[in-house]
Amino acid sequence: MDMNEIKEIFFQECEEQLAELESGLLKLNDGDRDPETVNAVFRAVHSIKGGAGAFGLDDLVAFAHVFETTLDCVRSNKLEPGPDVLKVMLKSADVLADLVTASRDGGGVDEARSRGLVKELEALANGETLAPAAHVEAPKAAAAPAAPMPAPTDESGFQPIPFSFDDEPETSTFEVTFKPRRELYSKGNEAALLLRDLSRLGEMSIHCDIDSLPDLDKMDPEASYFGWTIFVTTEKSEDDIRAVFEFAEWDCDLEVKPVGAAETSEELPMVPVPFDLSALDDEPAVETSAVEETVAAAVSAAQTASDVSKVAAAAARVEKKEAAAPAAAAQNNAAQNNAAAAAAAAGQTIRVDLDRVDRLINLVGELVINQAMLSQSVIENDATGTSAVNMGLEELQQLTREIQDSVMAIRAQPVKPVFQRMSRIVREVADMVGKQIRLVTEGENTEVDKTVIDKIAEPLTHMIRNAVDHGIESPEKREAAGKDPEGTIKLSAKHRSGRILIELQDDGGGINRERVKQKAIDNDLISPDANLSDEEIDNLIFAPGFSTADQISDISGRGVGMDVVKRSIQALGGRISISSRPGLGSTFTMSLPLTLAVLDGMVVTVAGQTLVVPLTAIVETLQPEASAIHSFGATQRLISIRNSFCPLVDVGRILNFRATQANPVEGVALLVESEGGGQRALMVDAIQGQRQVVIKSLEANYTHVPGIAAATILGDGRVALILDVDAVVAASRGQSLRAEMSLAATG
Amino acid sequence: MKKKVLTVDDSRTIRNMLLVTLNNAGFETIQAEDGVEGLEVLEGCNPDVIVTDINMPRLDGFGFIEGVRRNEKYRAVPILVLTTESDAEKKNRARQAGATGWIVKPFDPAKLIDAIERVTA
Amino acid sequence: MAAKKAASGSLKLPSVLDLNEATALHGKLMSMRGSNVVIDASGVERMGVQCVQVLAAGAKTWKADKKSFLVEKASDAFEKTMQLIGINLDTLIAKEI
Repeated sequence: MDMNEIKEIFFQECEEQLAELESGLLKLNDGDRDPETVNAVFRAVHSIKGGAGAFGLDDLVAFAHVFETTLDCVRSNKLEPGPDVLKVMLKSADVLADLVTASRDGGGVDEARSRGLVKELEALANGETLAPAAHVEAPKAAAAPAAPMPAPTDESGFQPIPFSFDDEPETSTFEVTFKPRRELYSKGNEAALLLRDLSRLGEMSIHCDIDSLPDLDKMDPEASYFGWTIFVTTEKSEDDIRAVFEFAEWDCDLEVKPVGAAETSEELPMVPVPFDLSALDDEPAVETSAVEETVAAAVSAAQTASDVSKVAAAAARVEKKEAAAPAAAAQNNAAQNNAAAAAAAAGQTIRVDLDRVDRLINLVGELVINQAMLSQSVIENDATGTSAVNMGLEELQQLTREIQDSVMAIRAQPVKPVFQRMSRIVREVADMVGKQIRLVTEGENTEVDKTVIDKIAEPLTHMIRNAVDHGIESPEKREAAGKDPEGTIKLSAKHRSGRILIELQDDGGGINRERVKQKAIDNDLISPDANLSDEEIDNLIFAPGFSTADQISDISGRGVGMDVVKRSIQALGGRISISSRPGLGSTFTMSLPLTLAVLDGMVVTVAGQTLVVPLTAIVETLQPEASAIHSFGATQRLISIRNSFCPLVDVGRILNFRATQANPVEGVALLVESEGGGQRALMVDAIQGQRQVVIKSLEANYTHVPGIAAATILGDGRVALILDVDAVVAASRGQSLRAEMSLAATG
Repeated sequence: MKKKVLTVDDSRTIRNMLLVTLNNAGFETIQAEDGVEGLEVLEGCNPDVIVTDINMPRLDGFGFIEGVRRNEKYRAVPILVLTTESDAEKKNRARQAGATGWIVKPFDPAKLIDAIERVTA
Repeated sequence: MAAKKAASGSLKLPSVLDLNEATALHGKLMSMRGSNVVIDASGVERMGVQCVQVLAAGAKTWKADKKSFLVEKASDAFEKTMQLIGINLDTLIAKEI
């Protein structure tokens, strides 16, 4: 693993943290005051900041830092997360997300926006932390959060690193007195290691003071008795010497002073002696021999002093390199294994390369096909279906299906990330159009294939924008209608009969049917005297080029209507419908397959070929009667279905399976909904049945074939092509253009 | 004999950085994702040094450090805290909980290795 | 006779003499009080100041008791730690009994 890979992980993690952040903020917005929620929100931002710092993403760090500081105020109950505060925080979360994206993909962010938010966040942090200071007596408590980045202080343990002069080859000698307290040891520090590090700075002579060591029976083995006086001769500065004790300085008595100037430096802060230049001259010019003498004198003095206890201590000179670290303790193999097992058990998820999963899915697809072929050949040779092989095969079929489902489940992911993205869109669009809207999500843990998730984001975004822009009324209008000025959009997901059902419900004004109808008439979509049910009128909004907004707004997209949404949903093998109640709102319902790897299809025969038509495209099947077929022009034919005419498309002709059109009466018509919203009757020769098929990409295995979406392998081993209904309809359109005009005229 | 380091951090990014840095420096690395897991893994892992984050779900760094210091067998293990410069208050709390030392973020491999060398034999 | 029987004992130091070991070491030495003792320091790989304190207190106490307290086969790690922290056990020990 290299840094780039870790960076990739960082951005993945950012996505998760951003999701966590947003869902936490939304919970707080709903009045959740669980400290763990606040903590999780704080952690999310903190974690992004931490990683960003490691990669030098300064913009991201700077913004996350301000955000984190304000969140810390909430965490420490200094700032109440009311609606106004949360509004700023939700916007900040959006900016943070933008910064993450910009850091990953390059490009800029809206700097004015982020600067504005930084100010708002700082105002929140400052405004609210200063207020409690007025009535909290302890000035320290108020001061700490008000200054989130305090200047290095002794209390915080920061020793500012001094910049040293570039050429200062001279050495100086320092006297260090060091007496640990027992806490030093109990916190895992070790005086011997500190002395080791000190010895690495230069030449060191040491005297250990053991005077306070009691007799064995009176001693506390974990107490601290030893103290040291050390003379270090080094090129390093006093601060470097103190830095050795950085971790330990609270838990020991420590004095560091340059030898020869000890008195002066200690007295200076207390006695206002006029600055003496000559003293300064003497100080750094200590010669080596002088140092040696000083050390020797000091050590012997110390030895004399310790004679009181009648214990002579030796002054040991430790060379710079002698203090090599002793080898670490031997490790126990069994213990290592235990640890590995524990670590493994704790990991509840693993990350797998998507390619590997896809390969597995492919293989399972092959297995399903293989199993089906095997079954078929056994059935052909075992008419009674009672042989042991047959029984075994049934079990195999069961198992294969289970494996298939389990493998599909690997790719399944909750729709949550997509849903969470929507809440940002609601916020932004609502802000833009001056509406108050809350998004309520339900069933966000409903799982569906990752490809489906990736592909529903766009149509869903479009629909959400529409709902905010057109669905929900302005606050004034809502109040006038006796509704809550704040509109609600509900986004929900659930599984239903092997598909995922996504509902988007708004409590707005509902579809204005009069206007929709008028617009449809104006746009020649329907004839002025067409008699349509409410449902039919509502569904007109999916017609191509239909847009109810009087002027095209930026928000809902330029001229892109619900027809595009419908087309994308259908491309996923899904369906979409709307139901609306005037004054109460509209509900869009999307039904999508759980996976794009298998498909429910109708297996049909066309000119001796076996084709699969996606079941989702088929509205109904019918056996045309001669009386229902109407010729139109030279080649066109229409079929009348319940008083309306529908162009008849011979699939065999379109795909060039045959040279002339087949007789419709001898075949079957599949009524399909095409991307244009209009219906077509696809003529096929016969229906073989319905079955679930494993989708095989033609592009990957062969080449793209117009009118064909993909291929599959049937139980008998034959390859069957899966029809691209939209493409077939589009191909037929040239011929059927006149038919469409006549349809509009006939109504 | 390789020195063994137990790292406790909820951030996958930081965990990976720790892993790469420590492995490159010749340490054996064992990782946990939060304080609770850290205490679980500690048993039977016998680390030479522990590196822990503060902000973590379930059990934060303070609780984790206190847990280690209460553990009869592992109470003497040096613990380094990953901290940011801005939280002096947190550093003090970590010290009171029993931390041995700290590594100031942003994460810097050299600082990490240096701090580990300082508290281990 | 009893005194003579208890007159010598030996103590093998463990490889890691950290904070945790200080109390154990203290206990072991206390149980050997009154007898000559030979400390085997050959296996010491890592030693902290607190265990050195216990050893030094032992040496001092043994000296007062006029018993011998000998460190044998000191490992490199043992020697180095002693040197580093400026302790010479020999000076704590009674040379003659």
